[in-house]
Amino acid sequence: MNALERHRKLTEIWASDKGFKGWFSTVNHNDLGRMFLVTAFFFFIVGGLLAMLIRVQLATPHSAFAGPEIYNQIFTMHGTVMMFLFAIPTFEGLAIYLLPKMLGTRDLAFPRLTAYGFWCYAFGGSMLIVAMLFGIAPDGGWFMYPPLTSAIHSPGINADFWLIGITFVEISAIAAAVEITVSVLKYRAPSMSLAKMPIFAWYALITALMILTGFPPLILGSVLLELERAFGLPFFQVDLGGDSLLWQHLFWLFGHPEVYIIFLPAAGVISTVLPVMCRTTLLGYGWIVSAAVALAFLSFGLWVHHMFTTGIPHMGLAFFSAASTLVAVPTGVQIFAWIGTMWKGRPELHLPMLHILGFFFTFVIGGLTGVMVAVVPFDWQAHDTAFITAHLHYVLFGGFVFPIFAGVYYWLPHFTGRKRFFCLGELAFALVFVGFHVTFLAMHWVGLLGQRRRIPTYAPEDGWTAINLISSVGSFILAIGIAMILVDVVLHIVTAHRGRRNPWNATTLEWAMITPAPAYTFASLPRITWRDPLSAEPDLAVSLARGEGYLGTPRHNWRETLAVDIASGKPEMHVLYPANTRLPILMSAVTGLFFLSLLMKFYWTVPLAMGGVAFLAWKWVWGLGLRQDQAVQSVGHGLSLPNAATVARSPGWWGTAFLLTANATFFGALLFGFAFLWTIAPGWPPPAWFTPSIFELGVGISGAALAPLAIRHATRVNESGGTPFPTVILALCGIVALGFACASLMWRAPTPNEHAYGATMLVLGGYGTFHTAISGLMGGFLTAQIRSGYTSANRRAAFPIVGLWVKYTSATGVIILLAAHLPGLIP
Amino acid sequence: MTEVLRILIAPLVWLASFSAIYGLHGLLCQNALAAVAGFPAERAVLMAAYGVAIALQIILLWILHHPRFAAPSGLLRFVSRASGWTGLIASVWTLFPVVALPTCF
Ligand code: HEM
Ligand SMILES: [Cu+2]
Repeated sequence: MNALERHRKLTEIWASDKGFKGWFSTVNHNDLGRMFLVTAFFFFIVGGLLAMLIRVQLATPHSAFAGPEIYNQIFTMHGTVMMFLFAIPTFEGLAIYLLPKMLGTRDLAFPRLTAYGFWCYAFGGSMLIVAMLFGIAPDGGWFMYPPLTSAIHSPGINADFWLIGITFVEISAIAAAVEITVSVLKYRAPSMSLAKMPIFAWYALITALMILTGFPPLILGSVLLELERAFGLPFFQVDLGGDSLLWQHLFWLFGHPEVYIIFLPAAGVISTVLPVMCRTTLLGYGWIVSAAVALAFLSFGLWVHHMFTTGIPHMGLAFFSAASTLVAVPTGVQIFAWIGTMWKGRPELHLPMLHILGFFFTFVIGGLTGVMVAVVPFDWQAHDTAFITAHLHYVLFGGFVFPIFAGVYYWLPHFTGRKRFFCLGELAFALVFVGFHVTFLAMHWVGLLGQRRRIPTYAPEDGWTAINLISSVGSFILAIGIAMILVDVVLHIVTAHRGRRNPWNATTLEWAMITPAPAYTFASLPRITWRDPLSAEPDLAVSLARGEGYLGTPRHNWRETLAVDIASGKPEMHVLYPANTRLPILMSAVTGLFFLSLLMKFYWTVPLAMGGVAFLAWKWVWGLGLRQDQAVQSVGHGLSLPNAATVARSPGWWGTAFLLTANATFFGALLFGFAFLWTIAPGWPPPAWFTPSIFELGVGISGAALAPLAIRHATRVNESGGTPFPTVILALCGIVALGFACASLMWRAPTPNEHAYGATMLVLGGYGTFHTAISGLMGGFLTAQIRSGYTSANRRAAFPIVGLWVKYTSATGVIILLAAHLPGLIP
Repeated sequence: MTEVLRILIAPLVWLASFSAIYGLHGLLCQNALAAVAGFPAERAVLMAAYGVAIALQIILLWILHHPRFAAPSGLLRFVSRASGWTGLIASVWTLFPVVALPTCF
């Protein structure tokens, strides 16, 4: 088979459906990565237009442009769109598009999950845009503090759009994060050990792990606030045992890591592009990885610096002030490594390099004002002024938008296979750079003169008029610059001017293929023993296209790849991907129905939607079942590997493990909330504790002990060729017992509408009940699979996955029951 | 997975002890304790916790440097030790207010 025949055959196997219908059924990361990026840039334009409206309003004193109600919606939507609908999805899109190519594999771990995540993002984002078009957009600021956003002070539907819409979008972030984590750890070219990974993959891995642990507190906060608004459970109402500060803790527990979730991928782009622009290799790879890890962790210990003015004891403030100054160190390590890289090489001022220089200049200033506001007394003065908004744009625009523009121009030839031929991009960069600094330097200044953020207008006597006008003029220069970049990109895409492969002479694997990338990505998979594969083997692309790598012969219409051992990159299993399907879009539409029902308060469609999701999920996994035992498959070069369905730790097991990591963070945040209210909120102890019951506690804990033991036994029996059916049933009985105890906790929670304690008991019980339902569903699924002959000693991967869920449900169930029953039992 | 764990463990322990001591501080200042021999008990408890947090990090760092437990490959060994040092430095620096500031003010 020659290269062209191989290309045709592989394309036939991997291609999405033809025409625009293909968009709805594609599960290919090439398509979905592009769809993510295009959608994210659409939202960038929306957010940018809103920014222009803000600057129009503030350009003159006593502006009559928009009233306060509308202005509140404008700045809230600007912040929300930029953070949730532009920045995070841009990272997701870039990672989805690039990772398989950089890692030397054919697709991400769970292609249908990629598609599901995309549609959740598209639908959730649309909900917010629709709200805006109808003039009922959220208006409580992007961090939505109660009591302002509680039902009492924001009775309309506006706040619900935020809480429900953003939670919907968050599902896509969690999906993408699970996907990226498992892909980086398991889906790499043979022999690509962790140490040989391209630096971008490290950043993507760290960012994804941060999403898994950073987003759940916000999801929890949104759930609790929506419960308060819809059903009157008073989590944030001080007079009923709640505390509005709990929201601030939950929000910033997410919100500060979020800033680094946005910055780290951008740093990954810089670490990838900069060495190429300087014709050298990255200096201090190990230092950079260590700095990124340190940054990720430290960023979880900073959240209270957003709450310096809330009256927290001084020692608490000092902890977070110290931690906030400390993050400057790993950031500095990265900056110095980049400067060293430039020093070592011969920088060439191509367009991506200009944007990187723009990043350096802007981000360093943003970092310095960041250290300023980390100092408590200064923050007390600057809090809630335009100085803060100026600071945050220096870090977000400097630390994200400039690097992303660098990345866009760097990878554009890869996306299109064309080359740029106007100089529009250079001019646009100049306008963006100048416009940005005029806008936001002015805002620092006017902030120090006392202009608060989020004010709809001001008086001429305030003395801010001239500076605001300068800032607004600057923002229009900026907007023109960004518009020119978009025009440049569109021109690039539509004008036919074929470029050559690898125009930058880059050394990472994504350039070892024809561009635009084919649906199958690599015609055969490389063996990677170098960090810069293309400088070690310049002809790699040709030899891969000739099928000289692994899996070079298309067969049985299979979409196949292989997965590796995490640390060493030793090939471990043979993976078959699912085909094109509309299941993901359907499932996210039904998920959307669930959220819409909550929003519109059509509570009778809620169970319908939940049933629908369960049904589709069942169908989703059922389709993966195999009726015959799988022998080891030859993958080329004399290597044979077992099928992924025949191993104990399949990709699905890893995905489950990381999903449960996120889930555990959610649960941990819930326990934190309980402890916080108990110890800090005024209005405790509650009028009545939950009435404990030794019987329920006993039944629940016995069930929780029985279920994991039984499922473990079933796994063993199945592996040794026996019939696991009876023990799976036994595990289900245990789950039912635990479910009974949790449901009873919900049922008997003392007056949830009258005190936050009862409300917390209701939510804890609900959490347990929900998880027993999931575990029950999975146990039921497993029995159905066993009955229909889908499992055997060989096809065993499903057992450990169900086992993980059952163990998780039992462990959290025990904690919940103890937290509920013990306080009443101890006198 | 142990390779990844080696990298994550020290900063994870820092995060846990940092949050725990922040929580402990809140608890102690809510419920006044009696002074022991003229020395405020809250302060003694916090300082003990500070000591434990640092000791934990030193032990971890020792483990990460011990040839029996250290990562086999060069890069992972470097990164795991660097994050071990991160954990130690972060514990000493971010919890330093325990000894430097009045406890409940
Ligand atoms: C395109 C250029 C941009 C301009 C001209 C701009 C302008 C502004 C202005 C003037 C405010 C202050 C509103 C007020 O306090 O009344 C603001 C707020 C904000 N901006 Fe931007 N911005 C831009 C881009 C971005 C980007 C790229 C991000 C994030 C990735 C971002 C995130 C935010 C956030 C989070 C707020 C706070 C919203 C709130 O107070 O609730 N902005 N922006
Ligand atoms: Cu922060």
